[in-house]
Amino acid sequence: MANLNLQHKKENTFDAIVIGSGMSGGWAAKELTEKGLKTLVLERGKAVDHVKDYPTTNLSPWEFEHRGAIPEDIRKENPVVSRCYAFREDAQHFFVKDTEHPYVQEKPFDWIRGYQTGGKSLLWARQVQRWSDFDFEGPARDGFAVDWPIRYNDLAPWYSHVEKFIGVSGNKDGLPNLPDGEFLPAMELTAVENYFKTFVGKNYPGRDIIIGRCAHITGNEEFYAKQGRALCQHRVLCQRGCPFGGYFSSNSSTLPWAMKTGNLTLQNNAVVHSIIYDEQKGKATGVLVIDALTMETTEYYADVIFLNASALNTNLVLLNSTSSRFPNGLGNDNGLLGKFVAFHNYRAGISGEYEGLAEYATSGKRPNGGYIPRFRNVHKQETDFLRGYAAGFSGSRSILTDQSDIGENLEKSLLNPKFGTWRVGSHMMGETIPKEESQVTLDSSLKDAWGIPQLKVAVDYDQNDEAMIADYLEQMTEMFENAGFKNIRTRDDKRAPGLDIHEMGGARMGHDPKTSILNKWNQLHACPNVYVTDGACMTSTSTQNPSLTYMAMAARAVDHAVRESKS
Amino acid sequence: MTHKKQAMDRRLALKQLAWITGGAILIPSCDFSQKSVLEAYQKLQVTEAERETLAHVTNTIFPGVHLKKADEIGLADFVLVMANDCLSEAEQIDFCTGLRAFDSFSKKTFKKTFGKMNTSESADAFRTTMEMEADNNSAIASVKSFLGITKRFALQGYLTSNYYMTEIMPYKMIPGGFVGSKLVTEIERINPNG
Repeated sequence: MANLNLQHKKENTFDAIVIGSGMSGGWAAKELTEKGLKTLVLERGKAVDHVKDYPTTNLSPWEFEHRGAIPEDIRKENPVVSRCYAFREDAQHFFVKDTEHPYVQEKPFDWIRGYQTGGKSLLWARQVQRWSDFDFEGPARDGFAVDWPIRYNDLAPWYSHVEKFIGVSGNKDGLPNLPDGEFLPAMELTAVENYFKTFVGKNYPGRDIIIGRCAHITGNEEFYAKQGRALCQHRVLCQRGCPFGGYFSSNSSTLPWAMKTGNLTLQNNAVVHSIIYDEQKGKATGVLVIDALTMETTEYYADVIFLNASALNTNLVLLNSTSSRFPNGLGNDNGLLGKFVAFHNYRAGISGEYEGLAEYATSGKRPNGGYIPRFRNVHKQETDFLRGYAAGFSGSRSILTDQSDIGENLEKSLLNPKFGTWRVGSHMMGETIPKEESQVTLDSSLKDAWGIPQLKVAVDYDQNDEAMIADYLEQMTEMFENAGFKNIRTRDDKRAPGLDIHEMGGARMGHDPKTSILNKWNQLHACPNVYVTDGACMTSTSTQNPSLTYMAMAARAVDHAVRESKS
Repeated sequence: MTHKKQAMDRRLALKQLAWITGGAILIPSCDFSQKSVLEAYQKLQVTEAERETLAHVTNTIFPGVHLKKADEIGLADFVLVMANDCLSEAEQIDFCTGLRAFDSFSKKTFKKTFGKMNTSESADAFRTTMEMEADNNSAIASVKSFLGITKRFALQGYLTSNYYMTEIMPYKMIPGGFVGSKLVTEIERINPNG
């Protein structure tokens, strides 16, 4: 019996365990396996192999029974995920349905999840803007959170490391508030976007419109061919999974790369119950896993554990990892675990039309858009609200067909489309302030299907967000009007937090174990062989789409873990 | 895939229906048009006769003068799929009430059903109906919602049909690139799917 146990323990022992196979877990896995560590990746959802498991990827529009729409029964049963822009007939199989994985909303929170190999990296919007020191220094300067224990220079080489591998299309714009990176050829702005860029550049110093930096391959084909990936073909069907590997996902890139090292074991349907803490050794020794299908429990062991379960689920795993040393959750000596959760405010938008540039149109498709980096409170505090917002900005030439009539007239007009005006639009991406009362906790009675406590989410907007929405709409309206845009319409869709799919924090980084959960290397202060390198680690949110920063932190943390183990 | 399976079930049901109707043509005395509910559209509980009424409406919207006729691309069935699966309950009731009232409404107002009209007569009847004033919950109101919903789905189905997206305004799944400023004079034809 003892021998059997020993054998079992040996089989289930790895050099490293990564919890989660999404954006940041995939990166941890790639870096760990490349450095020679036998690595187990635990993924709670189903297997999704690159190309093979993209069932809709090559379907034409008419091959979808509802031409993209989600049937009413599914919408009614799953109101949260149905509010997500990408939850459509072609990609619905990559989203968690509300009914499958319930959680408790103390305040309205749309928690969008992807439980499968690759997680949400299959579904993301692929925007990858770097942070600058205006972002990292924000909390210290403005006093709204603890100081980040890292600065731009700590992360810059890792940004480069990640960008080169994933492939980032963009321009070197030379902006201090949005550092340049390792870029492949940029995609083009449209005629009206270029017009607005020039107009704003002349009339609003410090405000810029650039083409988004996006994780698509637009050059250096030979390099990416080694990953089995090819040039982006501009299908703009990314959410189905890309048969070319034109955009970065764990499925197309980091996981197959890690697999090729021979050091990766990927275990699907592996629901992590908790991280096992050994009081004698004073460290984490493994992970307790429940098989999603058989309910069987198994323990896996490793010297180092990377927690990349997605921001809120990472909090859940830590909170549920209790021991007599950590009765309130692993690493939670100060009681702050699960607190200071924040997100990006996407509530407001604006649209309009431009009658000029009638001699131009666009051709082809672009899986990208224009981007306005944060221009509020960058160098110093100058408004009555803290921080600021970035914004998307896109414009395209409309094509009109008169569809008002029926019969012969309708048929005739469908044969004669005409160019209309340029349609322009923007949406805000506002920084929100992490507050102690914005938190996730474990429900004391409700459990999920695997007996794990359900997560209780209480995150909300505040006055700073309202003031920022008003300012965004005011500034954009003025810029649109002055640029000569017509039929300007503003909106505040009052969406709940979460629908931005940029939830962050709960296990924030900081210098001081009394006021933060993680140190500057993303290790739990109180249990340093556990690293958290997903959205849970974020001390503040700034305005940039966060995935690039998670990936860079994951690579940097692995480098640290491996150096530590050798010293 | 669940949606694939549903689609397959539905195709099977339609095939069976075709077989049954084929049988009906051989044995004209067998009248089941009032009773037989189309299994493919369980929520709507529509009969073959009602499906035919709907097809007269979709053929009015797309009569096949410059483009293919609605019937040639199975548009009535697409409208039923969408009405069955993608409408809210309230809209579904409107749609069905309007559909069921449609033939008698048409007879009363225009002296004949759409089935007995030629293309321009039925088009005029469609337009006239849509311009009628209607009190809430009146028969006219439900007929107008039925026509409105049918037009919305018919248009959607037509514009995203294999026929339209390959022969009329070809859809290019792989554009290969993007040009942000192209002179309109260099664009050979305006194609919303191009």
